[in-house]
Amino acid sequence: MAKILSQKFYDEMNKLVPRYPTRVALLLPALHQAQEEAGWLPSEVMEEIGEYIGIHPAQVREVASFYTMYNLNPVGKYHIKVCTNVACCLRGADEIVEHIEKKFGIACGGTTPDKKFTLMEEECLGACGTAPAMMLNDDYYENLDIKTIDQLLDGLK
Amino acid sequence: MAKCTIDGREVEFVAGTNLIEVAAKAGIEIPYFCYHPGLSIVAQCRMCAVEIEKMPKLQTACSTPATEGMVVKTRSDRVRQNQKSVMEFLLINHPLDCPICDKSGECDLQDQSFKYGDPYMRYTEERRTYLDLDMGPVIKKNMNRCIHCTRCIRFGTEVAGIHEMVAVQRGSNTEITTVDGRPLETDYAGNYSDVCPTGSLTLKDFRFRKRAWFLKKTPTVCEGCSRGCNMEIHQDANVIYRCLPRTNMEVNKYWLCDEGRFNYHYVNQEDRIVLPTLQAGESYQPTDWNQAIDQAKAVFNGKKLAILVGTDLTNEEAIQLQTFLPKQFGNAPVFHFGTPGIASTQDDAPADQILKRKSRTSNLNGFEKLGFKGFESLPAGIEAVLVIRGGRAEIPKFAAGVKVVGLGVFHTAENPGFEVVLPGTSFAEKDGTIVNFEGREQKLKRSINPRGQCKQLPEILMMWMNRGMSAGVAS
Repeated sequence: MAKILSQKFYDEMNKLVPRYPTRVALLLPALHQAQEEAGWLPSEVMEEIGEYIGIHPAQVREVASFYTMYNLNPVGKYHIKVCTNVACCLRGADEIVEHIEKKFGIACGGTTPDKKFTLMEEECLGACGTAPAMMLNDDYYENLDIKTIDQLLDGLK
Repeated sequence: MAKCTIDGREVEFVAGTNLIEVAAKAGIEIPYFCYHPGLSIVAQCRMCAVEIEKMPKLQTACSTPATEGMVVKTRSDRVRQNQKSVMEFLLINHPLDCPICDKSGECDLQDQSFKYGDPYMRYTEERRTYLDLDMGPVIKKNMNRCIHCTRCIRFGTEVAGIHEMVAVQRGSNTEITTVDGRPLETDYAGNYSDVCPTGSLTLKDFRFRKRAWFLKKTPTVCEGCSRGCNMEIHQDANVIYRCLPRTNMEVNKYWLCDEGRFNYHYVNQEDRIVLPTLQAGESYQPTDWNQAIDQAKAVFNGKKLAILVGTDLTNEEAIQLQTFLPKQFGNAPVFHFGTPGIASTQDDAPADQILKRKSRTSNLNGFEKLGFKGFESLPAGIEAVLVIRGGRAEIPKFAAGVKVVGLGVFHTAENPGFEVVLPGTSFAEKDGTIVNFEGREQKLKRSINPRGQCKQLPEILMMWMNRGMSAGVAS
């Protein structure tokens, strides 16, 4: 099978090998690294990771699907993840999700046709004290309301 | 021996045994779903929670080893309330489609819901549903029925040695699946269905063929290889519907391979020769027993004969042949045969890390102990061969011109090119003893009557003797 992942991926992984007691422990960093390269995790990539670590591809899928930070489908340039757990929910997360859905005309989990925005619900971000919170790619935005969201999203290129 | 008290009864136990097993020994049932004695313990279904004195909360019996002086209650109000709640919770998304489910009648979920659950349920919202991907030829998945006990996943990783069955997503969206609906790879896939406590994983082979409560069960032994796994044949109206493993900790534990599980098919197969049959050109012509025996004798008449006996026969049959063959055929050479390349127990070895062995017949060891010689090739000058077998020993190829008479179970699809076939019985149609690779003697038990005019070996031998004297073979 032709390799999809870059040499850089393999170099990074080989550096990490001595850090962990077992080889299976490489799975999470490998998934992160692979996602950084492609933006998401196609099944061929997960297959290749399984082959590299020496585990069944089903096991890779199991782990990748458990965590919401791994994308099993392509995502847009801006990946919006709104926390909808208890604290955020009480402080209006549902309205925020609804607002973004309307704003972009997409359902939760969907991507805009121009591949710019993807909207997802997220489990607890640990920002309950500053609820409601959301992630935009890797950054946190807290104490949100509809106005700040509009300001934020409209300013994105 | 250490003692504990369960429901007011003093129960002895071996240190390290969990409460489910200790209670079961004393005849006290603790219900459970995710626990399986052959798999690791995860304590996630919560059904087996019991009350233990001096412990503030209910404890899962599967993960709690009994200790000296422990006082356990399995029927207290708290325990019963927990069982009701767990059942209600597990059934929230269950479709309750028992009337069309193959598992119905032997389903842990159904039985325990009836026994421990509450007939009333508060949940009225929409149930979660899945689109089921395929899982290959052995297992039919119905994810809606799943209660996430993960027994199948643990069976895959711990017993079958392959992590192909996984739980993707999480929480109430968890789905048991293979990657993108890929077929299961293990040769032990049938066990996925056995360990499933619901109708989520059922056998495609058994699907919609028979309700479980119509089946009559006969404990017997698998004839698929020299291990001799213990199993049950389930039949109704003389038709075998399935074979399931029977627990024997010293032979096969709780498991059975797919080859052994589905081996029974040849017994019911359409093209099995169930009438005495003569060859007529390319096809086979049914006849009666007397004519067939006369024809067989005519075939052997004056020819140099060799006899091949399949190691899929029982010890009793082998011993009868040891008396019969020299009387009828003088010193014609006799060999045992079964698996190409496995002429003796020396060649027999494990075929995988689990159960399967290289000898694909069950009684190789027995035949060797009785002094039969293994078949490698026919001695020079042999003109006719008598092949006697159950249904599984692989018939060797003979040189053109060698006339063959078959006695036992044969199929027209095998196209053996035999002059005469005298139909005998398969492992499911007779009683007898087989000896596995370790020398363990186990019993085949008859579960169905022979099909058509198939007869037991002793009866055929008797008919052969009664049709006149020795065949007059040149020796």
